[in-house]
Amino acid sequence: MMAQPVPHQAAEKKRVKVYELRNNDWFDRGTGFCIAAFVQIEEGQPKEPRVIVESEDQPDRLLLETKIVKDDGFQKQQDTLIVWTDNGVDMALSFQEAEGCALIWKFIDGVQQTFQSVIGGPDDGLSDDIAIDMSPAIQLPSADLAALSELESNIRIMGSTANGRNALAKAIMADNYISRLIPLVEMAEDLESLDDLHRLCNIMKNILMLNDTSIIEHAVSDDCVLGVVGALEYDPDFPSHKANHRQWLNSQGRYKEVVRIEEEHIRRKIHQTYRLQYLKDVVLARILDDPTFSVLNSLIFFNQVEIVQHLQENDGFVNDLFSIFADPAEEQLRKKEAVLFIQQCCAIAKNLQPPQRQDLYNNFLSHGLLQVINFGLRNFDVTVRVGATDILVSMIDHDPGMIRHTIYRQIQEKQPPLTDTLIDLLLVEVDLGIKSQISDALKVLLDPTPPGGPPEARGEFVGQPRGRPQPTMDPQQELFLTNFYEHSAARLFKPLLDLEKRPDLNFNVLNDGIFGYLNDILCFYIRSHQHRSKFFVLTHNIAQRFNRLLSCKEKHLQLVAIRFFRQLVVLQDEFYIKHIAEKQILGPVLDVLLRTMPRDNLLSSACLDLFTLISKDNHKDLIKHLVENYREKVMALSYIDIFREILHRYDQSLGFNASVEPYFLEDEEEVGRRPAHPSGRGGMMEHLSIDPAQEEYWNTSDDEDENHARAPDHNSSTNGSTTSKPLVEYNSDEEADDNADAAMAPGSSSLQDEHSKENQAPTTSNISATTPPPERLSEKRRREEDEDDALEKLVHHKRRNSSSSVSSVGSTNSAASLRKKKGFSGNRDSSPTGGPKKIAISISSIKAAPVKSPQPVAGEDTT
Amino acid sequence: MSDLDKAIAQLRACRPIPEAQVRELCHKARELLIEEGNVVTVTAPVTICGDIHGQFHDLMELFRVGGDVPDTNYLFMGDFVDRGFYSLESFLLLLCLKVRYPDRMTLIRGNHESRQITTVYGFYDECLRKYGSANVWRYCCDVFDYLALGAIVLGASNNLSPSSVGEPSSSESQSASEEEIEIEVCNADGAIMSQFPRQVRSSNSINTRPPRGGSSPNGASEAAMAAANTNGIGSESGSGGGVGAPGNTGPPGSGASGSSGGSVGNPAGAVLCVHGGLSPLIDMVDKIRLLDRKQEVPHEGAMCDLLWSDPDEIDGWGLSPRGAGFLFGADIVKVFNHRNDLSLIARAHQLVMEGFKEMFDASIVTVWSAPNYCYRCGNVAALLELSEDDGGLGIFSRSNGDVNRSDGGMPGGNLIGGGQGRGVVMESDLAEPKSGPARRYRVFQAAPQDSRGMPAKKPVADYFL
Repeated sequence: MMAQPVPHQAAEKKRVKVYELRNNDWFDRGTGFCIAAFVQIEEGQPKEPRVIVESEDQPDRLLLETKIVKDDGFQKQQDTLIVWTDNGVDMALSFQEAEGCALIWKFIDGVQQTFQSVIGGPDDGLSDDIAIDMSPAIQLPSADLAALSELESNIRIMGSTANGRNALAKAIMADNYISRLIPLVEMAEDLESLDDLHRLCNIMKNILMLNDTSIIEHAVSDDCVLGVVGALEYDPDFPSHKANHRQWLNSQGRYKEVVRIEEEHIRRKIHQTYRLQYLKDVVLARILDDPTFSVLNSLIFFNQVEIVQHLQENDGFVNDLFSIFADPAEEQLRKKEAVLFIQQCCAIAKNLQPPQRQDLYNNFLSHGLLQVINFGLRNFDVTVRVGATDILVSMIDHDPGMIRHTIYRQIQEKQPPLTDTLIDLLLVEVDLGIKSQISDALKVLLDPTPPGGPPEARGEFVGQPRGRPQPTMDPQQELFLTNFYEHSAARLFKPLLDLEKRPDLNFNVLNDGIFGYLNDILCFYIRSHQHRSKFFVLTHNIAQRFNRLLSCKEKHLQLVAIRFFRQLVVLQDEFYIKHIAEKQILGPVLDVLLRTMPRDNLLSSACLDLFTLISKDNHKDLIKHLVENYREKVMALSYIDIFREILHRYDQSLGFNASVEPYFLEDEEEVGRRPAHPSGRGGMMEHLSIDPAQEEYWNTSDDEDENHARAPDHNSSTNGSTTSKPLVEYNSDEEADDNADAAMAPGSSSLQDEHSKENQAPTTSNISATTPPPERLSEKRRREEDEDDALEKLVHHKRRNSSSSVSSVGSTNSAASLRKKKGFSGNRDSSPTGGPKKIAISISSIKAAPVKSPQPVAGEDTT
Repeated sequence: MSDLDKAIAQLRACRPIPEAQVRELCHKARELLIEEGNVVTVTAPVTICGDIHGQFHDLMELFRVGGDVPDTNYLFMGDFVDRGFYSLESFLLLLCLKVRYPDRMTLIRGNHESRQITTVYGFYDECLRKYGSANVWRYCCDVFDYLALGAIVLGASNNLSPSSVGEPSSSESQSASEEEIEIEVCNADGAIMSQFPRQVRSSNSINTRPPRGGSSPNGASEAAMAAANTNGIGSESGSGGGVGAPGNTGPPGSGASGSSGGSVGNPAGAVLCVHGGLSPLIDMVDKIRLLDRKQEVPHEGAMCDLLWSDPDEIDGWGLSPRGAGFLFGADIVKVFNHRNDLSLIARAHQLVMEGFKEMFDASIVTVWSAPNYCYRCGNVAALLELSEDDGGLGIFSRSNGDVNRSDGGMPGGNLIGGGQGRGVVMESDLAEPKSGPARRYRVFQAAPQDSRGMPAKKPVADYFL
């Protein structure tokens, strides 16, 4: 691993005398054996070409070790002499034989000629010694066991230079050399010659790592593949192991053919693609370098595209495929496999160009894909349900509008809409994966943002309302939503609503996860459905339901409730603030904190986070509510900063009207600071300016609970100027960043958003001028550079990573992953500050207090 | 043998446990982790480890070098998964050990313990391959959300306890016995490769900054290389080779001297362990406790920074090339350590060829525990051992582990305005950084290749297309 031993085979050493020019006199440094090789000098560095002479008398002593550098002026003189300048000292090697000299010279010359490409080229991670028996032309030795060692070194030498690799690749293809090597594997196995097998493995590795597309394609062809992987079973790095690649690839029945594919070449392509994946994941996994990795990936990609394209253009095939589901007599197994087949098609489709993908889905839909999904979702076999969910999610991922449109039609035709199927499944499903994907799907399908518009903010930061005109909702979507809230919402949130009637709060470990999902979904709806969700929360007394969870013994369920309340606070919506106060929610949360507090655990952190939010954002109503209703509890907790702060704020705001002004100012500051809030998640502030749809809704809806219902409007008009106004205007950058972050995928930022960004630009700059540095956190996003784990790399990887379904990522940011997003690129372009910027942040100025702003002791480590 | 012990045995053999068992394990772990604060308090002795990255066989080597659980207390600083081919087995084993020996294992979260990152860097794919569905990945991701964000080690000694693993080479320990050893570097067999005594220095002896980049190759790397160097080019092999006699060099990586403020035997300050580094939003350790950590790692904010930031030779804060977190300089670390009565920050997150690297006058150290990272980087790995103080000197006089420790005695120490008392850092304070605990680094290499099968991913079993 460190410096590698140099090859020691006596045959490769050339006897030589080493001379050094001292005072114009050639000084004899001794006689020894010369080798020229690539040697690993430092970890992580590319190997260096070196000329080494080992002493004849004391083999451990080196007479010479010199690096071959481009302008060292190596020269060959006469037949047996090589001279050069080593760090200003003239050196000479005098060979005993001309042949030896020629070989060393060949190496030196080769290195110097291709110097750039060797140094800049990737370290192929292969074994290290380069023997010097380089044959004059690309004439590979005959393929037999006796010549293996010669072949091995030839290939290594040539593989070390770009020219050599090209020539080698050509020669291998021209001579059909792989096919000629293959019989040797069995021959060596028969002879039980492990050395030969190891050599064959090395040779095969080197050949594959030449990164030549045609070689790799040839290697996975029917004729060659078993021989090739056979050779690779004997890895000299693991001398005591033998892999079983041949057995794996040879075993029948890995390939499932649901509907016969008539075209021979397509079938062959399918097998080859599988072998390529096997090569990538198993055979070469450990030694793959980036170039080979991408060659394999692109071969796989193009094959898959070709296969899927071919199949979907083949009408007969698609008909046969979908008719499997139409036939009631068909076996379950075949139907299952058909679902899995479609699932795989859809997974591949993710890599297609959007128009082609659209064609594929349209084609499938017209053949009855939705019935297939319906069939799959209700299937007793969990694999089928997983498959159907995957298919659905990949379509939603592609274009949720497509599915919404279908659901709309279902509603029109008085069929049970797909959403109901999903809801039913969500509530009873035991498979966690299906559950979380459905939960994501329910969010995206009910996202009211019109197609093409910017997706609803991922709900990340407080105080970033959509500074754009309220999008007029698509009537279809409108109807869809109305229908949902009339018929389905109560069904979806039934477990939550049932909490009221539940005598006990003992939950089953298997299904108590549902509350987490429901909370996720509900928080999303609250952020995006405005008046509808408000009405729902109000009429079903949702807050109280969550409150009930606070008294159950499972801490993770208590956390769910706290999370919901946090969302309500984060929205900064007067309606919800009032709701929190009215429903007396904070009392029980204080109780949880009091119960937990001596201990420092997740629960207390979550509670403290909630109260920090209330205090920091200066929710005056909530502070007032807290202190006036729970003064004792707050006092009991006042040994914690936050609660002292809350009391302090309450005291300040009492009776001092004059203090309104400073508070207002502070508000603005807070607003600016908010993106930098430690745990800046949560919701998007719905802006409170009057929304026509909302207005109309409240005007036309029945009068039930009229007083409460009208509250938000009332507040927004009277009170909106204090807290919400500045919020509305502060938008642009962070929101965009935020979207991009959550999204993590490329795309184009929408026109609307650009527009709003333009509008907001002046405001933003004002704010940033008055606020301390931390706000500029977002600038870090604009940095172009990227490193190892850099987040931005995700963008590229996601694209490349075909099989890992992006859409199934997680639940927290899950909605984000299901939809189209803007990428970093969009943000970068719109940002004038491209380069890296240093931020000087004084630690102590993080909070509003005007602590000294210069760096505390920047750069003073003198004492 | 309980089910848990069986699961441990099975995982130690690098065989995954069934999905139902994973679910049960994750539920148990969740109950346990929910009781942990965002910053876990750990008392010495403890062995601190950096990134593992699914290199299961190297994790086994780590346990061999550092001592097995439960005989040794471990603190893993995140990044258990991704990159290597055995993320699943590695993480589940660590989780099993956590559930089995909750007080002896501490796991904190790394930036790879996240849904987004694992989908890209391998863990997701691995679960999918090994179980045919992503459910196990989901269970694990749920556990990730509950992992603590950091840890504080208390009660670390200023003196090294005798090495418990292997035999220290006698000559080295003889020569150093007169002085108090602050740093000791051992190889995988426990032989001492180098020692650095605690240095008493006058108040103006460290007015040079550590030279940038001059820290590598540093003492540690030379020692490690020398020990690993068996081919005889230019150096003797064997233990203790390499770096010169004690006293010649400062602590590895610091390029400067040790730092005890002149008083030998002060109680060692606390050690903060976190995966990435500091955050401009966190000036007090206690502020970490206010975060609601149960969530996917956000893309900015304090929680993100703790998991993503890196120390760098800059002044103040800088933008991170990683696209998340920040770079922070020596001044930031020193102010933070002073303010929080820390003597050292231990973190992981960055590959160090030598396995560990101390920076900024030994105020922060990077520990890396994945040897030959990605099966090809050629680096060595390291563990950091902090020993228990038994002389009574190192008993912590501070309450780092308690909530609100940092505003003790601070009048009006509320979040706004009150912080000034602490916020002012006198120059004289900085002149005497907290005396660092005695640190023993064990450097080790990748598990011998023969001890494992050929690393590979599990192939897809069936295919339609």
